[in-house]
Amino acid sequence: MSVTTNAGTPAPMPGSASGTASESAAMGGDAPPRIAIRNLDFFYGANRALKGVTLDLPDRTVTGMIGPSGCGKSTLLRCLNRMYDLYPGQRATGQVLLEGRDIIGGDIGVDELRSRVGMVFQKPTPFPMSIYDNVAFGVRLHERLSKAELDQRVEWSLTRAALWGEVKDRLATPATGLSGGQQQRLCIARTIAVRPEVILLDEPTSALDPISTLKIEELIDELKVDFTIAIVTHNMQQAARCADQVAFFYLGELIEVGPAGQIFTAPREPRTREYITGRFG
Amino acid sequence: MATALFKSSRRAKGLLWTAGAALCAGGTAVILLLIMGYVVVQGIGALSWSFITHLPHPIGIPDGGVANGIVGTLIIVGIAAVIAFPIGILLGIYVGVYGHRHTANAIRFCADVLASVPSITIGVFAYALLVAPFKHFSAMSASFAFAILMVPLIVRTTEGAIRMVPIEMREAAVALGATDFQAMARCTLIAARPGIVTGLLLALARVTGETAPLLFTAFGSQFWELNPNNPMAELSLQIFTYAISPYREWHEQAWGGALILILAVFVLSLAARLALRRQPSANA
Repeated sequence: MSVTTNAGTPAPMPGSASGTASESAAMGGDAPPRIAIRNLDFFYGANRALKGVTLDLPDRTVTGMIGPSGCGKSTLLRCLNRMYDLYPGQRATGQVLLEGRDIIGGDIGVDELRSRVGMVFQKPTPFPMSIYDNVAFGVRLHERLSKAELDQRVEWSLTRAALWGEVKDRLATPATGLSGGQQQRLCIARTIAVRPEVILLDEPTSALDPISTLKIEELIDELKVDFTIAIVTHNMQQAARCADQVAFFYLGELIEVGPAGQIFTAPREPRTREYITGRFG
Repeated sequence: MATALFKSSRRAKGLLWTAGAALCAGGTAVILLLIMGYVVVQGIGALSWSFITHLPHPIGIPDGGVANGIVGTLIIVGIAAVIAFPIGILLGIYVGVYGHRHTANAIRFCADVLASVPSITIGVFAYALLVAPFKHFSAMSASFAFAILMVPLIVRTTEGAIRMVPIEMREAAVALGATDFQAMARCTLIAARPGIVTGLLLALARVTGETAPLLFTAFGSQFWELNPNNPMAELSLQIFTYAISPYREWHEQAWGGALILILAVFVLSLAARLALRRQPSANA
């Protein structure tokens, strides 16, 4: 079917994504990172929650962010799609570059930014509408598609989110009728339906049972072929299983970043070692 | 030994509280049933087709009715709803979404105070504002008084319904590229809708039973009156007038009117319950 060919295409956004990549190649490294965070500070009012964070999210890899509660990892995630815009009194300084254009400085309009950087939250949040409309919600905000094209996009997204088989016969029923794990996969489908380049996952499995968690983790593995993924997690096994690169945060600072294997077997920083061996956190 | 004693005393306390709660619940239900039963017994005799289709007749002429009162109630409450629904809902949304701001706190405080102002005081206010300057009573002024009674109720129930919706839903919509307004209108509000509708129906039920503000606003009328600029008959006002009259015939009609009113409020409350149940909640 058309779906399989669609899902088989490697990059969801072939045009705009790779077109500008060469322009930012000057930033160093072999391949330019999809997102480059430079000296980022974040404030909740007068409280400084992030302190000079500099971190690269390499293209089409999974970056795991770990650290004790309140260390700023979720805050960092919310900077990458400017979620903090909703709340007066929250502000960020420094740079977050998406292909060389600064997110924090407003080089990219919020509308475009959120179509390119998607986010999935801790708690599954199906909208009070049908399964179909949930997936179509974001698409309708950004694109004018014919009914057939939209149908195809919905099917493609649900297939990618490993949910199509379970819901294809009840697309018109309310999404609130799904189980928790299905709801979270619906939220992922809803996010990839917009065809972003980056997907931010904020503790996506902490409200789910082990089997649903496993499904989501397998899904992350499949999605990184096409998407750049950042995942915040409290579960270190999860970080070890899913992430290619792991960043450890403590009290708003990035303590250490490196390949997952190195962080979990041979951390350079004593604080990292203490955290991953369970001595605090 | 001591453990057994402790356990049995715990059980006794549990029984005591359960019994107390059951007694209070039963007592409340019994009182409600007594009131409704008594109104039904007293009023059922007055109920007839002519009672709900005829105008009031003078004493001595049979087959008088409260048709104008029923229509008047619908008009007055209807206009009040048209005024109060949008104001109440919009304020409720504002307070529910931006609850931490100073203006929201001020609105919430005003609504609470307004909700506890005696309804007759609000009637006097409507009189001073809309009756005295124009030198005649009007249904409009009654609707205005009712609207003032309804707004604080709607504000608080709408706020509560909005707050029940997890903030993550709004964030999720915004993260997909929706504006704050779109997230609100298409997700949060829809999820809160059953709760909001319930609040509206309860506010309607509340004012439908009000009499005090009508005494010097709608005033009452013996005639067909559809112009809201004129004094108008209203059911609860008719009940009041008939009940304090010295005529046995009118007393019976007052009971009949009370039965209709209590049925209307009952139906509204039932509809409110149904509205709340029909849609699964956002985080079910």
